[in-house]
Amino acid sequence: MDTNHPGSAGGRGGLGSIFGGGSPGYSHSDLAGVPLTGMSPLSPYLNVDPRYLVQDNDEFILPTGANKTRGRFELAFFTIGGCCMSGAAFGAVNGLRLGFKETQNMAWSKPKNVQILNMVTRQGALWANTLGSLALLYSAFGVIIEKTRGAEDDLNTIAAGTMTGMLYKSTGGLRGVARGGLAGLALTSAFALYNNWEHIKGSSSRLSL
Amino acid sequence: MEEYMREPCPWRIVDDCGGAFTMGIIGGGVFQAVKGFRNAPAGVAHRLRGSMSAVRIRAPQIGGSFAVWGGLFSTIDCGLVRLRGKEDPWNSITSGALTGAVLASRSGPLAMVGSALMGGILLALIEGVGILLTRYTAQQFQNPNPFGEESSPVAH
Repeated sequence: MDTNHPGSAGGRGGLGSIFGGGSPGYSHSDLAGVPLTGMSPLSPYLNVDPRYLVQDNDEFILPTGANKTRGRFELAFFTIGGCCMSGAAFGAVNGLRLGFKETQNMAWSKPKNVQILNMVTRQGALWANTLGSLALLYSAFGVIIEKTRGAEDDLNTIAAGTMTGMLYKSTGGLRGVARGGLAGLALTSAFALYNNWEHIKGSSSRLSL
Repeated sequence: MEEYMREPCPWRIVDDCGGAFTMGIIGGGVFQAVKGFRNAPAGVAHRLRGSMSAVRIRAPQIGGSFAVWGGLFSTIDCGLVRLRGKEDPWNSITSGALTGAVLASRSGPLAMVGSALMGGILLALIEGVGILLTRYTAQQFQNPNPFGEESSPVAH
């Protein structure tokens, strides 16, 4: 036993020297700073180049077939809910304003309160319903366009907005359709411009330089 | 079909509000289309027009009341999650009952109790169906026994 021990130790050392310095004396700076060539591992436990392990950007493991960003369908409910709630808030404020304006020359009494309250609830419901259905139409058109085109960009936004405006005003005849379409086009174009403002500004400054 | 993920809590209110609005407007739209078609004067053109106008006028209102329900429900749900510090079916059932009670509060205490019961039972049904569905689908994803001794992978 005792005679065998040094021999086995020497063999282990030899194996380490074949693989390029697997001595137990490696320091922290050796591990972190020495550039590795492929065949020589620094540590017996680390047989990959640590430089490959550095990640400077986010990497996510996505399920098969999943998109990197959320599509229109996943955002649709959020859009509709947001439009509905902001419409309700705006309508309530508007109703408060209208109610005060309408009951200006009334004494501060119960009928005045009731009238203001009625105005608030009615206007709130009206605006919430209007904006909510607009957002619903927009989301539905957006999803349909995205699925049929198979691509997702600002063109979808603009097209969906235009179609929403046209459908929403479709009861007002051709003029109404045109006006609604134009309004939708203008609004969604403004939104798309706002969304890509940095991009456009960067490219235009590059052009002017 | 992607897996439907629920939003984290404050944004869930907006999400649920939108979902309820969509549900209401689609369901109400179908209902009102049939109703408008039947209530209009005879003649296909009249009937189609009546159906259209009924949908246009009434469907957003139904969607709006659904949206109020969904938004209030989700708000109470999130409040309960915050208060109790956990998320379970009881939260949904309680918030369903509370939503029903709050929305019926202008019609008197009796209507409040009835509405709260309705909401609670409805949400209990929905949660129960959800739990049953989860149980049922979970069985399909059970790993087979690696030793092969039990040949029947039915639920224990």
